[in-house]
Amino acid sequence: MSKIDAALRELTLLEEGAEEEKYINKVHPLSKLLVTVLYILLVVSFDKYDLAGLLGMVLYPLILFIVFDISFAKCVRRTAVILPLLLFVGMWNPFFDRTPLLLWGTIPVSGGMLSFVTLLVKGIFTILAGYLLIATTSIGKLCAALRMLHVPQVLVTVILFIYRYISLLLKEADCMTRAYALRAPGQKGVHFKAWGSLAGRLLLRSMDRAGEVYESMCLRGFDGSRGRGAFFAGVNAGKFTGKDFLWLLLFGGGLTVLRIYPVFEMAGRFVIK
Amino acid sequence: MSHIHITVSDVSFGYEKGKKVLNHLSFEAGESESIGIIGSNGAGKSTLLKLMVGLHTDFSGSIRIEDMPVEKSMLTKIRERIGYVFQDADSQLFMTTVGEDVAFAPRSYGFSEEEVARRVEKALGAVGISHLKDKQIYRLSGGEKKLASIATILSMSPDILLLDEPSVTLDPKNRRNLIRILNEFSHLKLIATHDLDMVLDTCKRCILICGGEIIKDGRTEEILTDRKLLEENGLELPLRYQGDCKY
Amino acid sequence: MHMADALVAPAVAGTMYLCSAAAAGYSIKKVKLENDAKKIPVMGVMGAFVFAAQMINFTIPGTGSSGHLCGGMLLSAILGPYAGFLSMIGVLVIQCLLFADGGLLALGCNIWNMAFYGCFIGALLIWRNMMKGGMSRRKIVAASVLGCVATLQLGAFSVTLETLLSGVTLLPFGAFLSFMQPIHLAIGLVEGLITAAVLLFVYEARPELLWGGEEKEEKKQAKLTFEKTLAALAVVTVLVGGALSLAASSFPDGLEWSVEKLTGSTQLEAADGIYDAAASIQERTALLPDYGFKSEETPAGTSFSGIVGGLAVVALCVGCCYLFKFFRRKPTHE
Repeated sequence: MSKIDAALRELTLLEEGAEEEKYINKVHPLSKLLVTVLYILLVVSFDKYDLAGLLGMVLYPLILFIVFDISFAKCVRRTAVILPLLLFVGMWNPFFDRTPLLLWGTIPVSGGMLSFVTLLVKGIFTILAGYLLIATTSIGKLCAALRMLHVPQVLVTVILFIYRYISLLLKEADCMTRAYALRAPGQKGVHFKAWGSLAGRLLLRSMDRAGEVYESMCLRGFDGSRGRGAFFAGVNAGKFTGKDFLWLLLFGGGLTVLRIYPVFEMAGRFVIK
Repeated sequence: MSHIHITVSDVSFGYEKGKKVLNHLSFEAGESESIGIIGSNGAGKSTLLKLMVGLHTDFSGSIRIEDMPVEKSMLTKIRERIGYVFQDADSQLFMTTVGEDVAFAPRSYGFSEEEVARRVEKALGAVGISHLKDKQIYRLSGGEKKLASIATILSMSPDILLLDEPSVTLDPKNRRNLIRILNEFSHLKLIATHDLDMVLDTCKRCILICGGEIIKDGRTEEILTDRKLLEENGLELPLRYQGDCKY
Repeated sequence: MHMADALVAPAVAGTMYLCSAAAAGYSIKKVKLENDAKKIPVMGVMGAFVFAAQMINFTIPGTGSSGHLCGGMLLSAILGPYAGFLSMIGVLVIQCLLFADGGLLALGCNIWNMAFYGCFIGALLIWRNMMKGGMSRRKIVAASVLGCVATLQLGAFSVTLETLLSGVTLLPFGAFLSFMQPIHLAIGLVEGLITAAVLLFVYEARPELLWGGEEKEEKKQAKLTFEKTLAALAVVTVLVGGALSLAASSFPDGLEWSVEKLTGSTQLEAADGIYDAAASIQERTALLPDYGFKSEETPAGTSFSGIVGGLAVVALCVGCCYLFKFFRRKPTHE
């Protein structure tokens, strides 16, 4: 089933990215996470007509993509995931808001068109930022960063567990649906008579698996009732060094400047003058 | 450390009432012995191993690991001395990277981070996979996963190793590698399997179980060459003795 | 439906983060009270299960399309609503980080829209109350369908509200709702049936796995059962009815309605509104018009300088990046 295949491929791609030895991979995950959140926040905070200012925000992904040789092609699919929703929500704006706001040459641009494009650009920028984070940082490290932000242990542990078993269960689901498809030629999905048994069997197997995992944890010193083995405390993000602070400061500051000043406009006036 | 042994006396156990999986089992195992526990599917091999590490404590009879009886209050101590390797490595390895997983047990037992790191290095080195330390578990091959799951046990430096079907899902090369590594260990080993050829390569002593009872306990060569005995209990001669076998 | 970052304003995102965090905090407290160490790996593995199972296409009879199961409802029916909620948060975090389904900023919204309603309304309110006094096949189907429909209706309503409050679309509220609610009614029915099928299978095979069956409730809560169920039904009915009637009344003149909303109620004010809007845009995009393109004082001038400036800055940046890389690489070659 192509959807599961695609997900597995995506997982592998991201993991390969996170395993690379680039400088950005070694930047502290907390630093990267905070910069990413700040970037997304700033991008979203632009006024719906302020396309000119918003475009300045392209510099952050642009610089990272080029300097650290991150593959742009790999994240195109991710952008495609959100576009339909954005298109649906935004495409009405040109109809409802016809007030001309700009002249591009001789073509008047209505407020609706402007806000539509702004929405799409915001969508693409936020996706790029998210991709830059996850393509250079493993989930384990991100979870360690979440712990540093005092996200509760239980939640972080569950995230790590889900991540650990996603690929395994995806493969099991893949096997089952393939086995089903081979015996049900011509069917596009799973027939309703097999709805319950197919997913249900996967569910029971998952429960058994969870039981074994729990046994394995207990055998290695985990004892929830006495709080023994502070759970997963060990997932280590490494030390937050001066360099990581510099990264945070540099990008944090840079992005804030981009948010406040329309850098493109100012540079344009400078060039023209 | 001087008296590393297991004593199983008159153990019976069933998951459901009235259905006995193990029936009045008794045997002893001594220091640095390597014992194959053989039997057909459902004979009770895995259950026996699980009882020894206290995954079920509601059995009758008694099991002692060294001088400690297997009962709820002793489990933490017992599990420090005895390691159990699951048949399915994916259940055993639940952390995201190999290094984190191997570090889980020493961390749970409250060792310092330096000690944890030392133990992780040592355990990974013992099975020859030091290079996989930062690797994501789901990206390991089947053979690597098996070695990693043995390393997670070794990080506690146990005296006793229990292995549940260690060679299943391994290809011939990985299987041979596993046998080589197992033979390097001086631990007391109990290997539950129906891979009889592996038992020949790793164990001097062998316990044949059928229907939850010990049928025979003796030297491996004796039991595994006894075609009649094996066939009566749902097994076959090891492949290397089957040269004249006609299908 | 996963909200994207671009669809939420920071204020909306922040509010929803707070709401979701409160629900999560409460759930963590409840899960800790249960003091069941086994629950943690079960939450993790079951979360992964939901993730995988949601990728299976279940064919809807008589149509060419396919449906998926409802994660929040299913997880809660196995784990209980609190553990189910935490597990769903985990699923949503992973989906957001690894698969760009939803974004970091919109995560709070997504947790609320999908996990909260599924676990707290679908399971805690509807499933639990219906399962009191023993389970049966019929009850499981009814609770699953009702729970999923309620979950998705509330979810769709929240998506609409959050999007509109964020001010990214000019689609009138009624029109948006009248699009969202019926579609999600259909999706809810299908998801409910698929979820019911899975839960029925579990019920037949290992009924002890299902949550809420023989729970011993306090009497006080038991008294409320009927009212609670009624209340849930009422909420759903009001939502659906309200949405449909709103839509019916606003769709024909939706365009006028929105223009009115945008520009003010009367013609005169409308003109002012346009002027204000344009002026504010000019203020924002045309910093200090007298520095703009020589003979131009319209926004076109500023956009021209914007384009030139943009190109210049991007070119400069790209150039710098490559220079940086060039010099950084050199020493390694020697």
